[in-house]
Amino acid sequence: MKKYILTNAVSAAALSLGLAVGGISHAMTWSLKDAAAPYSGTTVDVVFLLRPGYEAIEAMLPAFEDETGIQINIIKHPYENALGEQVRDFVADGDLDIALIDLVWIGNFAENEWVIPVDELQAKFPDIVDPDLDINDFFPLVLNAFGGWDGKIYGVPFDNYSGLLFYNRCLLEESGFDGPPETWAELKDVYGPALTKDGKYAFALQSKRNETQSADSFARVIWPFGGSFLDENFRSNLLSEESQAGLKFRQDLMQYMPDGIVAYDHAEVVNAFAQGDVAMITEWSAFYSTVVSEETSAVADCVAIAPEPKGPAGRKPALGGFSLAVASQADEAEQAAAWLFIQWATSKANALEYLERGGVPARASAYADPALAETYTFIPALVESWQDGVPEFRPRFAEWPEITEIVQEWGTKMMLGEVTTEEGAAEIGSRMEAVLEAAGYYSGDKPLAQ
Amino acid sequence: MRGRVSRLTVLAFVAPAVLSLALVGIAPLLFAGWTSLHFYNLTKLRRVAFIGLENYQTVLGDEVFWQAVGRTLFLLGTALPIQIAFGLGVAIILHRPGLNLLKTLTRLSLVLPMATTYAVVGLLGQVMFNQKFGVINQLLPGPGINWIGDPQNAFIMIIFWDVWQWTPFVALVLLAGLTMVPGEVEEAARLETKSWWTILRHVQLPFLIPGLVAVLILRTADTLKLFDMVFTLTRGGPGAATEFVSLMIQRVGFRAFDQGLASAQAIILLIITIILAQIYIRIFYKEV
Repeated sequence: MKKYILTNAVSAAALSLGLAVGGISHAMTWSLKDAAAPYSGTTVDVVFLLRPGYEAIEAMLPAFEDETGIQINIIKHPYENALGEQVRDFVADGDLDIALIDLVWIGNFAENEWVIPVDELQAKFPDIVDPDLDINDFFPLVLNAFGGWDGKIYGVPFDNYSGLLFYNRCLLEESGFDGPPETWAELKDVYGPALTKDGKYAFALQSKRNETQSADSFARVIWPFGGSFLDENFRSNLLSEESQAGLKFRQDLMQYMPDGIVAYDHAEVVNAFAQGDVAMITEWSAFYSTVVSEETSAVADCVAIAPEPKGPAGRKPALGGFSLAVASQADEAEQAAAWLFIQWATSKANALEYLERGGVPARASAYADPALAETYTFIPALVESWQDGVPEFRPRFAEWPEITEIVQEWGTKMMLGEVTTEEGAAEIGSRMEAVLEAAGYYSGDKPLAQ
Repeated sequence: MRGRVSRLTVLAFVAPAVLSLALVGIAPLLFAGWTSLHFYNLTKLRRVAFIGLENYQTVLGDEVFWQAVGRTLFLLGTALPIQIAFGLGVAIILHRPGLNLLKTLTRLSLVLPMATTYAVVGLLGQVMFNQKFGVINQLLPGPGINWIGDPQNAFIMIIFWDVWQWTPFVALVLLAGLTMVPGEVEEAARLETKSWWTILRHVQLPFLIPGLVAVLILRTADTLKLFDMVFTLTRGGPGAATEFVSLMIQRVGFRAFDQGLASAQAIILLIITIILAQIYIRIFYKEV
C-alpha cells in the first residue's frame, strides 16, 4: 500500500508541477466564465447522494450554472443504490458524465476505465484547467485513498468523511465524566456501565447488514486492535489474535448498545443520539450538521466531538468518502464541462461556503483559520483523524463489492450470536480468499494492491 | 372462400402478441440461460467466459442458497394456510344472505391491501413496527418489542404483512367460487343438515377447488419472488433471518454484480416453481 501512496503522491506532485510550469500567464488570464464559454449549454449528468454534503453543493449550484451556462443534472440515489445505478449506466454506455466514487469503488472504476485520470484530462483540455486547482492542498491521505489508484489520481475528493466520536457532553457530565473516553477499553469498561441506565445506552454502533456492517462496524473494531482484513500475502487475517480481539470486543460492547443494533443504519444511530437516547456514537463527520442543528437534534447544545477512541494498535479511525471523476463515456464537451464543475465544486475558493452549508471539504487550507474550530467543533478531531487514517481501512480493489457482501452476512451473524467470532472469521476468510483466487491475486495475474 | 379468414389475417392478429411475449418474456429468459453458463460479472466484463454448468454446480452446493430456499418455503408454509383460513372465513361470511350494503363495502375495502404497492407496505412496516415510536408497540402492553432487530420477530413481521396484504385476494377468489354453487343444491343441503362443516366439505368445497388451486399456484409463485416488501422493510436482515431467495438473487446479481451466478439461481428457482405448480395441479385436480 505504501508503494501506491508514494506513487500517488508522485503523481499528485507531477500534476501540480505541470500546472506550475504550464503557465503563470495562464493563471493571470484564466476565468471560469471564459474557460466555460465553449461549453455553455452543455448538460452534465451526475449521481448525488441524499446527504448533507450534496445538499450543500446543490444549494451553491445556481452560481456555477449562471456563470458558465453549463447545466448540472443531478440524479439522487440513496447510498445503497448508488454503485449499482452507476455500474449499470457505465456498462450500458449510458448518460453519466461524472462518476461519484466511494473510496472502495475506486479500483473498480479505474480498472474498468470508466473514469479518466486527472493528468490525461488536463493534457486533453489545457485551457480549462484552473490555475488555482492546487491538488497538493488536499489532505494527502484523502486524495490518495479517495481518488487514487495504481499510481494515478482519477477522482478529486468531494464528500469527505472521517470517523469521529460524537458524545453527549451533558449526559457524560451527569455521570461524572469531564471528557470522552480516550480508548475503546475505557469506553466499554468505564463509560459503558455508568451511562447505560434508565432506558438510555452508553453507545450505539451502526451495524445494519449493508455497507454499514462492513465499514462502520466490522472494520471499525478490527483496525484499532491491530487486525486487518488481509495479511501481506493477501490471505485472510481475520483469525489473527488481533482481529479476533477486535471482534470479541464488539460482542462485549453490545451489552451497552440498544437492542436490535444489527438493524441500526446511520439514520437510526444518529437519530438515537440526537434524541438523547444514546450517549456516544462513532459516526462520519458528514453527520455533524444533523446533530448540532436544533431542527433535527434535541441535544444540539450538548453535542461535543472527539477523535475516535484508541485501541492497542492506535487510533485507526474509520475512513470513508467520495471523489468525483470525469466519465470516459461522456463526449468531449461533456467531459470538459464535467471537469469544470468538479474543479469548481472542490475549489479552495468555495471550500468555506461548502463547509458553512454542511459539507466537509478535504482542503487543508479550508481549516487553516483556527477560529473556525470554535464554530465547527469537529474540525480538530477531523484533521487529527486524517493524519492517522488507514487508506486500506476497507480494501479498495475491484473485488470489494463481492467481499463486502460476505462480511455483511457473517459479521451480522456474529453479532446475533449465530456463529462465534472464530467461525464467522473462518467463513469470511475462506469465501474472501475464493474471490481473490478467482480474480487472479494468488496466481500473480493481479498486483497485491488494495 | 367467403366466411373463412386468411392465414395472413390470423398471423397479423396473433403476431403482435407473440412478438411482445417473445420480447418481454422469452428473450430475457434466453439471455438469463446464456449468462448462467458464463462467468458474467458486470464489473469484469472483459473476463466473460463460457464455464459450462459451473454456476449451477456452485448454486446446488451453496448452503446459503438452500437456506434461503428453505426460509422461503417456510414462509409459504406458514403464511399461506393462515391466508386460506382467514380468506375462507371472510368468503363464507360474505356469502351469507343479508346486509348487502355492508358486504359491498367490505368487498371494496378488501381491494385496498392488494392495491397497496409492495414497497409502500414495507415502509409502513418500518414505521408501524418501530421499537420506540411504532403504533404496534404502543398498542401492546409491556416493554416495546424489538421487531426489526430480532430474527424471529422480523420473520413474524413479514408473515403478518404478507397475510395482511394477500388474505383479501384469497377471500375474493373463494367468494367467487362460492357464488358458483347452485342455489338449490345449497338450499337442499341446508334443509338436510345444520352443520356448516358438512355443507362446506360436501357441497361448497368441490366448487372451491379450482379457485384454491389458482390461489396455491399464484401465491406460491408470489412468495418465491417476494422482494419489494422485504427489501424495504428488513433488507433481508437481521443477519439472514428474512433473506428469501429472491433477495439473495438480487444481492448476488446487483450488489455483487455476478449476473452469471444470479441467473443460475433464478433458473433453479423457476424450475422449483414449475415443479410445485405441477404438484398442486396433479394432487388437487385429482381430488376433484
